[in-house]
Amino acid sequence: MNDEAQQTWNTGAAKANAAYQGARRNITINPITRLEGHGKIDIFLDGKGDVERAYLQVPELRGFEVFSIGRPAEDMPQITSRICGVCPTAHHMAATKALDDLYQIEPTHVGRMIRELVYNAFTLEDHALHFFVLGGPDFIVGPDAPPAERNIVGVIQKVGLEAGKKVIGMRRRIREITSYFGGKVVHPVLGLPGGVSKGLKAEDLPKFKELAKDGVEFAEWTLSIFKQIVLANPDYVKMITSDAYTHKTCYMGQVDAQNKVNFYDGKLRVVDCDGKEVCKFTAREYRDYVAEHVEPWSYMKFTFLKDRGWNGFTEGPQSSIYAVGPLARLNVAEGMATPKAQAAYEEFFKTLGGKPVHHTLATHWARVIEMIYAAERLEQLINDPDITSPDIRRVPTSVPTVGMGVVEAPRGTLFHHYETDEKGLIRMANMVVATGNNASRIAMSVERAAKGLIKGGHVTEGLLNRVEMAFRAYDPCLGCATHTLPGHMPLIASIYDTRRCLVRTLKQD
Amino acid sequence: MSGPGILVLGLGNDILTDDAVGLLVVRQLGEEFADDPRVEVRETQEMGLALLDYLTGYREAILVDAIQTGKASPGTLHELDSDGLRLLAGGTPHFLGVGETLALGRQLGLAMPERVRIFAIEVTDAQTLGTRLSPAIQQALPAILDRIRAAIRE
Repeated sequence: MNDEAQQTWNTGAAKANAAYQGARRNITINPITRLEGHGKIDIFLDGKGDVERAYLQVPELRGFEVFSIGRPAEDMPQITSRICGVCPTAHHMAATKALDDLYQIEPTHVGRMIRELVYNAFTLEDHALHFFVLGGPDFIVGPDAPPAERNIVGVIQKVGLEAGKKVIGMRRRIREITSYFGGKVVHPVLGLPGGVSKGLKAEDLPKFKELAKDGVEFAEWTLSIFKQIVLANPDYVKMITSDAYTHKTCYMGQVDAQNKVNFYDGKLRVVDCDGKEVCKFTAREYRDYVAEHVEPWSYMKFTFLKDRGWNGFTEGPQSSIYAVGPLARLNVAEGMATPKAQAAYEEFFKTLGGKPVHHTLATHWARVIEMIYAAERLEQLINDPDITSPDIRRVPTSVPTVGMGVVEAPRGTLFHHYETDEKGLIRMANMVVATGNNASRIAMSVERAAKGLIKGGHVTEGLLNRVEMAFRAYDPCLGCATHTLPGHMPLIASIYDTRRCLVRTLKQD
Repeated sequence: MSGPGILVLGLGNDILTDDAVGLLVVRQLGEEFADDPRVEVRETQEMGLALLDYLTGYREAILVDAIQTGKASPGTLHELDSDGLRLLAGGTPHFLGVGETLALGRQLGLAMPERVRIFAIEVTDAQTLGTRLSPAIQQALPAILDRIRAAIRE
């Protein structure tokens, strides 16, 4: 190559590099990635080039306990709800219930109803957000659609502008309930030991009644969308029920006295892979039933059923691994406490061949059924004749020591545990979050997806999206599990050969 | 359009060490611009779809946020305008970015800002619960404030 050609070549290469860097920069700095904690998937191949093990790792939050020690326990509902912008109300409510326990005080009947009302409104909104914005686009727009279309804008193109307006409008109205009671949506100031800080005024009742009624309609409409787009498509049904997305594990979820799903209160029920009850316990007994396992490759703690012991990432009758979240809740319950949700629940198990359902992707369907329950429960509570009573709080008088509280966060069982001195200052604080409870099954899902997509050293196109779909169904709030920031998590997959040499890296910003 | 034309919106989490920087910056600016009717300074810990509620109804928006690219020294101010933001940028299938939020809002017929500028501050630690900025970020604050102040007046 002569000098002139060389120079032209160099200029061209420099421009191409700059354009590439520019394009990359735009993606990287897109503020949705905000502080980017990369999700890291390590894939280890065997001698034939097939997957031996695959691991998902996510960044870690530090310092929760140190931050909490010495603070008044009453601050915990505010502090924990500030950790993460994704499910503040779940943390707020788990912490509030832990305070009831800490001060050994039962909230008043009305205080309890208001908490449950707000909690169901929150769950309805969060589930809707997941269905239309986070996980739903994979189905509504299609798992193989270009990423640029696989989002809410693509969803609206598919379901129509009016539908889009409906989703956005309903979301805003539901959030009015949360802010009415809690002040701010993100940092609710509502729960106090023994009750709540704000009651419902009779004059505000009509608009919330209207909203609850529309909420039920909205949830039913969402189910019809799911049926039209997902269930009517044989390819999707095939994918949902395929082995690649199926794991026979145990399930855990909160149920009421009739073993019906309850997000706010009740007992935790665990069923095995055949759907038989393994145990049922209260928040206080949590640590007798659940233990945490540590793997050398991850910061995460993998919870498992203590009685059964850690049996590794195994499925079947011996599995000590359990899942939490919408699918798990439906699997552990004997039904839904409201009529429309009950009908949808029956249809779910009838269609998918009985209980329990082990298909991870069916979680999306379960989530929509829970939206119906949340809306119906909201409607029941708002129409309760006592809901506007001012008897919203009982003032605690006993000396605090230990408090534990559990709720079903949208993503699954969320557990808070505090210990204090006699003045109520925190001495110890711990949380077991939904994504932690799901960590083992998520790890299995990631490995299964990788195994199906890499054969003989050949990596199938779209690996990362299929792997992401495997864990997106759990709606993992990795922000919360690891306590880093919520939101989009860029993924890096590193593939290693038998000598543990890196052979390929895949990145999805 | 009546009311303030410019929204200055700080994003972040005020108990995650450096992640608070966007909030701290706009709190300072909020005091300085308190008497300026053209400017409204707000903060939020939310992101994604929730930004739609914040962005609606302004002619112009300036977002201040923390970021960790690992490719710049702590305290570096990354600056982007809406041209630099690829609308509907690829690779974000499961979360709504600012570009997508704007596109969505426009599609729904909401009044979205015509101009959006993003100031993203490179940080070092956003994974530890804490309410104090890392020293490098603290030191960089005056220069960052100068730049954003100037941008509001542009």
